[in-house]
Amino acid sequence: MQCTKVSGTADQLLDPAAAVWAGVPAETLTMAATPLANQPSEYIKASRDEKVIGKCRSLNVQSVHNGTDVFFRLSWGDESENDKEVVDTSMFPDGCGVLMPVASGDTPIEEMGSKDVPVNAWFWRANYKKDEARNTIARGLGTTEFSKTSPIRARGAWLSGVWNVVFTRPLSVPEQEKEAVQLAPGKTAKVGFAVWDGGSGERAGVKSFSKEWRDLAIQA
Amino acid sequence: MAEMTDEEKKAQRAKELAAEAKSVKAQLKQCDRQVAMVFDLNKCLGCQTCVIACKTQWTRDEGMEYMWWATVNTQPGKGTPRDWQQMGGGFRGEEPRAGQLPSKKDFGEAWDFNYEEVFYGGKGNTVHLKPSGDPDWGPNWDEDQGGGKYPNSFYFYLQRICNHCTNPACLEACPRNAIYKRKEDGIVLINQDRCKGYRFCMEACPYKKIYFNHVTQTSQKCIFCYPRLEKGVANACARQCPGRLRFVGYLDDENGPIYKLVKKWKVALPLHPDRGTQPNVYYVPPISPPRIDEQGNLDLTKPRIPTEYLKFLFGDDVEPVLETLKAEMAKTKAGGKSEILDTLIVYEWKTLFGPFTNDPATIAPRKA
Repeated sequence: MQCTKVSGTADQLLDPAAAVWAGVPAETLTMAATPLANQPSEYIKASRDEKVIGKCRSLNVQSVHNGTDVFFRLSWGDESENDKEVVDTSMFPDGCGVLMPVASGDTPIEEMGSKDVPVNAWFWRANYKKDEARNTIARGLGTTEFSKTSPIRARGAWLSGVWNVVFTRPLSVPEQEKEAVQLAPGKTAKVGFAVWDGGSGERAGVKSFSKEWRDLAIQA
Repeated sequence: MAEMTDEEKKAQRAKELAAEAKSVKAQLKQCDRQVAMVFDLNKCLGCQTCVIACKTQWTRDEGMEYMWWATVNTQPGKGTPRDWQQMGGGFRGEEPRAGQLPSKKDFGEAWDFNYEEVFYGGKGNTVHLKPSGDPDWGPNWDEDQGGGKYPNSFYFYLQRICNHCTNPACLEACPRNAIYKRKEDGIVLINQDRCKGYRFCMEACPYKKIYFNHVTQTSQKCIFCYPRLEKGVANACARQCPGRLRFVGYLDDENGPIYKLVKKWKVALPLHPDRGTQPNVYYVPPISPPRIDEQGNLDLTKPRIPTEYLKFLFGDDVEPVLETLKAEMAKTKAGGKSEILDTLIVYEWKTLFGPFTNDPATIAPRKA
């Protein structure tokens, strides 16, 4: 997967409808249900069917950087827009995430990293405030912790059955050395993705994911 | 030995993860002692004072409007949330059982009333005080409806809080291990910092006593008034109950009423024991008034409240409990003494609360 260098400000590129995105090649990833057998809750295992979870089966990913900030644009089909405001007990928002190991070394994507090699997840939910995204660190299933501050911004737009969500963050975030992945032009990072279909009650580990790490080559 | 295939490796890893998760859950469930409550269903007058005591103490903030951690519903009835007994959850044997997520409408939304118009708008004589909209359900909607046919109609009140179970389905369900039992007293709490509002706990709880706060985006529930207990003060619902029917104490305190009623005399039973969560709230089942036959005479051979219904609520053990209670009543009718009935009558209020008899007025109020 290529992260090409483009020109443009972070504010311009954060717009999922920005013209520049039309010229950026997209990679289509096959998505699958997270392994039910690994869920850290016997209740979830007993009450879900792996054949049914993971509504999103295909995800288009584009990635660019402008020398200082990195961008991911995620697009997937979703017939319903759920839910901008979670006011009822039975409502769940749509959402997506970007996952990268914080340090080098093997770490299992299907287990949300390990104690030795944590993973950094960038979260966006349809019910978050405008441009809000959260930074989390995980050291295994069910361990994600929000960091106090998030250097990430995200903007999502649902149009005619398609979600387009752009994440952005400075390539390097030295103030979050332990809580976030450090990126740089010319480097390669491992990356994975997840999508939640709120209308199907997907949340937590009940989601679709990109199955394995992809190498992201950040153009020098 | 042949090398494992990828599938075998995955299965092996899943087993390892399950074993790890099981050991974490076991730690979260572990506690040294257990506080518990006993409710005597024969004494409740349905005044809802306990419900309001809890509401004013704990669920006044925004996002908590529809929450009633303590409820009192008329039985038989649909209860709170509506039809909760048909929503699954709990365990079948060791296996967790799928449950439904009740909606706010099922709980009964907090209604807005036309107070302004009636009290301050000069329309006190022409406009009735009423909720806005056209609600068709509320937390006490089927009050005093009951069951049976006249002249054998019957009802009784069922008080409910979180059961602070020994084997909590909510704790088992949470993928974030945000739910735990306090080591010192077994109170089940949801760590609000760890909770992400996923609501698997709400699905899994067979008693539907967990609520979702749409402001904090976390799940919340009865905390057994642990900040009061820590100061030696009984729970708000119990302390304010004018009927003296809510006993509080440690399950293992052999001198306390809980131990005696539950373990020694075995006259208090958990609600829906078949759900497998081992609740720590117990009920002294209701004694039926006599039936009236077609000629209008008392028929003492059949109870007014169908035993099958009580078995549905409290399991098969309800029959021997009712026998014990009847025998104790017969004893006192014949001029004898009954320690069980004396305990249930509660001549002195302090005997309700085990070690939690401090005056709430002596402790600092909760900071806003």
